[in-house]
Amino acid sequence: MKNPNRIIRTILIAWAIQLLVIPVAYGQELTGVEIIKKVNELFNPATSYGKSKMTIVTTSGQKRTFVFESWSKDRGEKNLVRYLQPSRVKDQATLMLNHADDIWMYFPRTQRVRKLATHAKKQKMQGSDFSYEDMGSGDAFITDFTPVRLDDENMEEQECYKLELTRKQDSDLSYSRLIMWIVKENFVPIVIDYYDEKDPTRHIKRLVQSNIRIIDSIPAAMNTVMYNKGDNTQTEIEMLEIQFNVPLSDDMFTERGLKK
Amino acid sequence: MKWSILSLLIYFLSITTIKAQENVELFGYFESQIMGAKIKKEFYQVNANKLRVDLKSDLADNITFGANFDYINYNGKKQWNILEYLSNDITSTVPPEMQNLYMFPFSDKQFLDNAYIRINFNDLDLTVGKQQISLGTGYVWNPLDVFNIKDVLDPTYEQPGHNAVRLDFALGNRYTLNFLYSPEETWNHSGKLVQLKGGISHFDFTMTAIEILWRFHDYTHFDAVNMNFLELPEKRRILGASTAGELLGLGIWAEYGYNRMQYTKDFFELVVGADYTFDFQTFIMTEYYRNTLGKTDYRCYEFNDWMRQFTAEQKAISRDQVYMFLQHPVTDFLSLGSSGILSVSDKSFVIIPTLNYSFSDNMDIMAYLNYNFGKEGTAFSKATGNGGLLRARVYF
Repeated sequence: MKNPNRIIRTILIAWAIQLLVIPVAYGQELTGVEIIKKVNELFNPATSYGKSKMTIVTTSGQKRTFVFESWSKDRGEKNLVRYLQPSRVKDQATLMLNHADDIWMYFPRTQRVRKLATHAKKQKMQGSDFSYEDMGSGDAFITDFTPVRLDDENMEEQECYKLELTRKQDSDLSYSRLIMWIVKENFVPIVIDYYDEKDPTRHIKRLVQSNIRIIDSIPAAMNTVMYNKGDNTQTEIEMLEIQFNVPLSDDMFTERGLKK
Repeated sequence: MKWSILSLLIYFLSITTIKAQENVELFGYFESQIMGAKIKKEFYQVNANKLRVDLKSDLADNITFGANFDYINYNGKKQWNILEYLSNDITSTVPPEMQNLYMFPFSDKQFLDNAYIRINFNDLDLTVGKQQISLGTGYVWNPLDVFNIKDVLDPTYEQPGHNAVRLDFALGNRYTLNFLYSPEETWNHSGKLVQLKGGISHFDFTMTAIEILWRFHDYTHFDAVNMNFLELPEKRRILGASTAGELLGLGIWAEYGYNRMQYTKDFFELVVGADYTFDFQTFIMTEYYRNTLGKTDYRCYEFNDWMRQFTAEQKAISRDQVYMFLQHPVTDFLSLGSSGILSVSDKSFVIIPTLNYSFSDNMDIMAYLNYNFGKEGTAFSKATGNGGLLRARVYF
């Protein structure tokens, strides 16, 4: 009779080989559309809450730091951002609905809510290298771009899928195309290159995500840096706290909720 | 002066005591600004120091208390005679014995600007106390805002608080029904407002009905009993609507108010505006304002028209005006821009170059110049004072 421990060990080794081989073999079959759908699911959980520290660094080395809370619902369709620090912007809030097609800003000193048109999405968020569009566009990777899978590449020492996303004709997003490196292991896009709206050869921004941690079974980047190639500035967002699939009321994502 | 120092001490002791309580947030700002204007070959200036302290406390899950106290002191030219801004045609109608009555004083002051309690129920918010009231979608002019008049040179500056009881009923996710009661000496004289707010597609809209006692003055008659100019109060009922949304890629807004007056002639106010942000981050905005209370010919401007504009009883002296604004972020922390206001009715124009600089996380600097191009007697004539303002503000 064979040693049962040896049988179990053989089975475990077989599983391990399967676990290593199958994703690679399966990954080779994944199309650009399938990969970007997985990225989109990861980027847009059903609901989320985060507390973040955003640091803007200019060419001269000057820094500005903001701390804000953000809530997201319906897979990124609804977003609310409220500033905690610095005092200059304390309690200012931005509500983005319909994937940032509708934006309202709340100014606590005047208790005024102002509706912004979609062109405001192009504006820098508090002077950072992130636009409102970058923060609240939800599933734009799927709805506004056509993905094409390029040859796989290593990026930041990780094996990655490489996708080129070309803007659809009816989209009004500010980027003509994106190049994205997605870690095969967890589908986190660790690097995204953004190209100019009018000149698809002009590389204007690079987003780099790092310090990936598993939070509530979802891989999340704890550090994100946007490098602005044109202005030679950068903005870093550090996640101080993050929760996924938290219960959020629809009332939060209304003008009344914005003022609270 | 002693009273000012004493009140400031009491105030600091009070806020220190309050801060010692749990769950009270203490924040605010200090700003120092210098304003200047050239009046008849002489350049005058006044410096203002303002300390604003805000308190906020979430007393329970659904109860919020908010308040702020302002302490402002002035230095420099603290007495400005409004007559110095007006053309000789106008000032010659003022009797010599009344000429000293038109001094506008910058007096030191300390006051409770806002102090309110807000209670949130499931579908209802109740706010009681001295609070901000912001009505309308206009950027510079708000036909529906009978409580405030913005400074056209600095339209985003905070407005004073108003005593009111306010109820906001949620009717679904995008609709609210608002009631506001601003008490005066009698129910009849008190301000009342009903407003339905809603949204259709990418547009927000409001429909509003307001009743308020408008305290107009006749600045050519002095009331010796009340030691003020003769008050001509009359009931003002406003029916209006506003909207904000997007059309052909432009942000657009409009606001209309029809004013039914108790004694004087009815009038209406209309604002239509549009804005756009270019890919290179330059932001442009324009707003048109018509006020049929204003006059179409500057030769018909009377002394009372000017005084009502200076004392913010009336939003504009001329009937039609256009506001234009352009701003570009030169760096992440520095924005340069310029606004301009054209009085279409009298062909006068003021240009206002602006600078906004974020000096550090909690300090910013704002400056503007105002330069008038207009014939004597027009809304933006040189006599109304070319000048500017420099403001530094630190937040804590």
